[in-house]
Amino acid sequence: MSYFRITLMRSGIGLPAKVQGVLKALGLRKRMTTVYYPVSPDVAGQIMRIKELVDVKEVAEPMTKCQMREARRPDPGYYIERKGNRLIDEKM
Amino acid sequence: MFGPFRLTNPLAGGLLWKIPWRLSSHQKYRQRGRLRRVDAVIATLDSALARMGKSMKKVQRWKVEMPREEEMLAKDKYTVFDRKVKRYRKGIHKVPKWTRVSQRLNPPGF
Repeated sequence: MSYFRITLMRSGIGLPAKVQGVLKALGLRKRMTTVYYPVSPDVAGQIMRIKELVDVKEVAEPMTKCQMREARRPDPGYYIERKGNRLIDEKM
Repeated sequence: MFGPFRLTNPLAGGLLWKIPWRLSSHQKYRQRGRLRRVDAVIATLDSALARMGKSMKKVQRWKVEMPREEEMLAKDKYTVFDRKVKRYRKGIHKVPKWTRVSQRLNPPGF
């Protein structure tokens, strides 16, 4: 089962009500929001309506909001050292 | 002649918006990018549905009827048919919301 990853790149402001309705139905309220939907002709039809506004990729697994946030998080640039004996304890 | 208070058309007569009659090369570059992005969306939809063993009339029709970016003539990428304009062509940037609508086909012969 694969999923469509749909990201709203261009806003729907000023476009016909049908286009804005599709955006709303897909849960794309603001630019750069990403939603995941299983691949089906229904969703494909919705994407066809908003094809100029979105970026679509086919992915194997959907990501939750938390996972997307974590993926965006930059490298902190440091790491916390731990005591050697604690590492040994964890391994045992 | 120079400086902040020079007599230019907008200063002399108030509001004056001038829209050039043709696109700049950078506008054309971005227009090509937008066309290609739509092509990519269609290709994604088609391949994803094909992998599931399904197809869709709307996608099939688009693939049959609409030329892809590299198949389009420059004339069709950057201008559109307009019966009111001399020689029947105007810049695509005169179309309302032109960066967010697909306008690829024109009447044959024009």
